Amino acid sequence: MTDVAPDTAAVWQALGTILDPEFGISIVDLGLIYSVECTDGNVSVVMTLTTPTCPSGAWIHNGTEEAVRRLAGVKNVKVELVFDPVWSPTMLSATAQQLLGWSSDEVHR
Amino acid sequence: MTPPSSLTVAGSLSLRAPERPAAARPTTPTVGPRLSASWLAAQGRLPLAFMALGLAWLVLATAMLALAPAALALPHSAPHVVAITHAWVLGFFVTIATGASYQIAPVALGTTLQSERYGWWHFGLHAVAVPGMVYAFWRWDMVLLGHFGAVFAIGIILFAVNTWQTVRRSGQRDVVAWSLAFAASWLLITVLAGLLLSLNRYWNFLPLNPVALLRAHAHLGLVGFFITLLQGVSFRLVPMFTLADVPDWRSVRVGLWLSQLGLLGLAPALAWQNGYAAAIFGAAILGGLIATGRALQRALATRKKRFVDPGISAFLRGGATLVLSAVLGLLLVWPTTPWGSAPGGFNAMVYAIAVFAGGLLPAVSGMLCKIVPFLTWMRAYGPKVGRVPTPAAGALTNPVLENWGLNLQAVAVLPLAAGAWLLSPAWLAVGAGLLGCGVILFTADMLTVLRHLWKPIVLTAPPAPNRTRP
Repeated sequence: MTDVAPDTAAVWQALGTILDPEFGISIVDLGLIYSVECTDGNVSVVMTLTTPTCPSGAWIHNGTEEAVRRLAGVKNVKVELVFDPVWSPTMLSATAQQLLGWSSDEVHR
Repeated sequence: MTPPSSLTVAGSLSLRAPERPAAARPTTPTVGPRLSASWLAAQGRLPLAFMALGLAWLVLATAMLALAPAALALPHSAPHVVAITHAWVLGFFVTIATGASYQIAPVALGTTLQSERYGWWHFGLHAVAVPGMVYAFWRWDMVLLGHFGAVFAIGIILFAVNTWQTVRRSGQRDVVAWSLAFAASWLLITVLAGLLLSLNRYWNFLPLNPVALLRAHAHLGLVGFFITLLQGVSFRLVPMFTLADVPDWRSVRVGLWLSQLGLLGLAPALAWQNGYAAAIFGAAILGGLIATGRALQRALATRKKRFVDPGISAFLRGGATLVLSAVLGLLLVWPTTPWGSAPGGFNAMVYAIAVFAGGLLPAVSGMLCKIVPFLTWMRAYGPKVGRVPTPAAGALTNPVLENWGLNLQAVAVLPLAAGAWLLSPAWLAVGAGLLGCGVILFTADMLTVLRHLWKPIVLTAPPAPNRTRP
């Protein structure tokens, strides 16, 4: 019996458990994951970092790959790190904005 | 979080993060070719080794002061004062700053450290030389000082060459790269000047006032190394820790260049005791500090992380006190100031306390509160990301110890300055006691963090999102 290939929702959920070490906020809420694609167990993730010189970037990148690889039914994982477009605060989720201390007016603006 | 599904193309289901605007969709994926190299450079044990050594010196230097607080009522050229000063400056401040440079320079410049082996040689030489130098100052043994000073200088030569080469290979020529290169150069010049001073005490070949030379030496290190470093790397670190931009790079550049030009004039003016020239060049340095402060203020105004951590607060408080200290220094060197800094004058001690205890100590301690948890996290938890739940770096600290440690260090400045000003052993003892309590708590917090290297915590579920402390 083989595992069922994961769908993108499962991948997003797995990535949502990875915290950025500085802000303690998930990399999904920080807007670091640009896209997730799943095709017959082949998972492709496009991600970025808040800054190209992020010192924990290697671990976040490796951890993203590892978290996806651990999902049942995954055959291949490709995690691409891109800086085009550059990360910007507009990519923060409402949850991240609240955790960073934005006022409710700013969050709902 | 449940992202909405979008379209299926050739059997693949594609999802997008819901908050991302259409304009932010990725175009051609590109990976910065130098990025992985800078990451690797950041994983080293070298900076942590320097941090641990620096913390040991913080405790030792504080103990020296707590055991002999009345030394601060002596002229600043007194052997015990010089020994305690070097325990603080070489033992704590330089150890931490050079160790942090081994971490920050590759990250800030997007490259690898030129030679980690040179870095370890520097560490070994530094670890041996500084205790010897402090002991030699305490005993006022200039021959011994010369020997240990030479060992220390070799270590600094290795550090400077390593930094220059790292800057060169990075290809970066921005203000941060210049600040790193300048800071390493000034540190080397300061150490060589210090060696010259010790030789001059022995052979007396420089017909200049030794106290005036000592002041020039001190300002070469203070402005040349510490302030120059802060004027550059702050604009990489603070934006990184607060999610801020730097909208005013022009002020950053003006700040750095004014300080460099000011120091080029200030050091000889102090050595030859020309008060007006010292005041003019000191004013240039003050102008540089104000420009840097203005740029930092503008950067902080853009921060997306609204709450400011205790470490960043302490760092900013230290920077502000350095600006105020520069004003005090200007008053001291102005020739018509009645309470000016005559050779051996006691008022210079108040200035020194403002600079070191009020300025550099919170700036360096504050950054330690950010850097040590981050380095520890990278070694203890970085390899586990994606495999098991990992805590945030900030969760490694003990907030109570951190806050009390930093605050008691800050409170201690006032009685220390009052004691030095009034030549009061009682106030000095109170100040040294408060400082000692602050350092004990601060060090306990740092040890709590470092303990994760040997005893990492095991989380069974992802930690709750970390609302940043106000």
